[in-house]
Amino acid sequence: MPPRPRLEPAQLPRRLYLCHQCRHASLATATTPAPPLEYDSPMLPPIPTHSSTRQSLSHKPPEFRKSQLHRQYQSLLRSSPLILLFQHNNVNATEWSGIRRELASALRKVDEDLAKAGDNAYVGESTKLQIVQTGIFASALKVVEFWKPKFGDISAAPAAGGEAAVPAGSAGAIAHGQAPAEAHGLSEEVWRAVALNKELTHGLEPLLSGPIALLTLPTVSPQHLKAAFSILAPTPKFPAPKRRLNPTYHEKPVQEGLQKLMLLGARVEGKVFDMEGARWVGGIEGGMTGLRSQLVGMLGGMGAQITSTLEAAGKSLYFTVEGRRDMLEEEEKKANAGSDEPAKVESVGSS
Amino acid sequence: MITKYITAVSTAFSPFNARTGKTVRNFLALLPPNARSKMAIDVKMFGQAEAEKPASLSLKFKDGKEMPLDLEKMKLKDIQTEVDRHSRTLRRAEELAG
Repeated sequence: MPPRPRLEPAQLPRRLYLCHQCRHASLATATTPAPPLEYDSPMLPPIPTHSSTRQSLSHKPPEFRKSQLHRQYQSLLRSSPLILLFQHNNVNATEWSGIRRELASALRKVDEDLAKAGDNAYVGESTKLQIVQTGIFASALKVVEFWKPKFGDISAAPAAGGEAAVPAGSAGAIAHGQAPAEAHGLSEEVWRAVALNKELTHGLEPLLSGPIALLTLPTVSPQHLKAAFSILAPTPKFPAPKRRLNPTYHEKPVQEGLQKLMLLGARVEGKVFDMEGARWVGGIEGGMTGLRSQLVGMLGGMGAQITSTLEAAGKSLYFTVEGRRDMLEEEEKKANAGSDEPAKVESVGSS
Repeated sequence: MITKYITAVSTAFSPFNARTGKTVRNFLALLPPNARSKMAIDVKMFGQAEAEKPASLSLKFKDGKEMPLDLEKMKLKDIQTEVDRHSRTLRRAEELAG
């Protein structure tokens, strides 16, 4: 074998080492390459204090799991109009898998029934029962509730970016000496605007403590919600499946796990409901289409009611006059009949 | 928190009451996973409208002692101290009995 050539360290190709997470960190943030550990190279690029893209830096490092979870929870909150909150008290893995299996089969049944009636949305397949990190979820909820981004035209970027950034943040961004960067959900300016402002409340704060699990549905579907209640939080109004019909539901892991799940409340289309409110939503007959048709019927019925109320005065007057006229006619007939009879009696008597 | 000597937990609270709701829920979260088979747990939840209704938490121990806990004055840490204090006496008695 030929001898291995000796290479000085200076001759080795200089490539900055990016750890796996940095390499695959979200595109919304600038990557800050870690300095290589082996040698102190003079060719290190300066770690940026401002973003080279138009977006502002993430409040916490993007490679942290909590930043990624924050993004996931923001997306979850924006895409699920119906979220149920449960507390889970030390539920085992086997119990979770049993509960999820039962829930999936119940939702699949509802999906199939709806598909037969023509509704092919298959909501049950995108429904998830997942544990969330409560603190990060609380922060994501604040951002989603109170920060409304105005995603302007990309070509008019600097001006739109300045408007899109929250006022507190744009001051901070201008201090960097460049055009204000566009704020995004993870950025510091958004955090500052929503988290530190104590007056902003969304009503779910008392629930966000302790171990939380969410049931998220992609649409507000009372039929699916009813099935979910009958599995996860059965009451006499939403009865659990019977042992004969669904024996796997009554297995020990599932039952024990369900005892440790407590329904706390719900967030439906941005509004906070408690347990009773959530059950009311689940009890809406016929789903959203049924509710809409009820509303249409009620509105149409209201129009008919108004006309009939307005007509009623005229109608009653008409009936009164008619009745009086009939009475008068009867009396006349009686009077005529009375005057005829004596004539008849006379004629009979005379003949 | 030593939960081995608790035989029954009975609570009534509203999760929308930030102070008492959090205390009770975190107490329930401290019970071990196999708790349900060993102790009787009774939870009554009020709605958002009844958030101001007074919450209650009371425990029963193996030696028959009943401990009602005042949630207005006690935080979770205080509750843990109370439970541990009694549980430790029971533990010592059990160890001495052999």
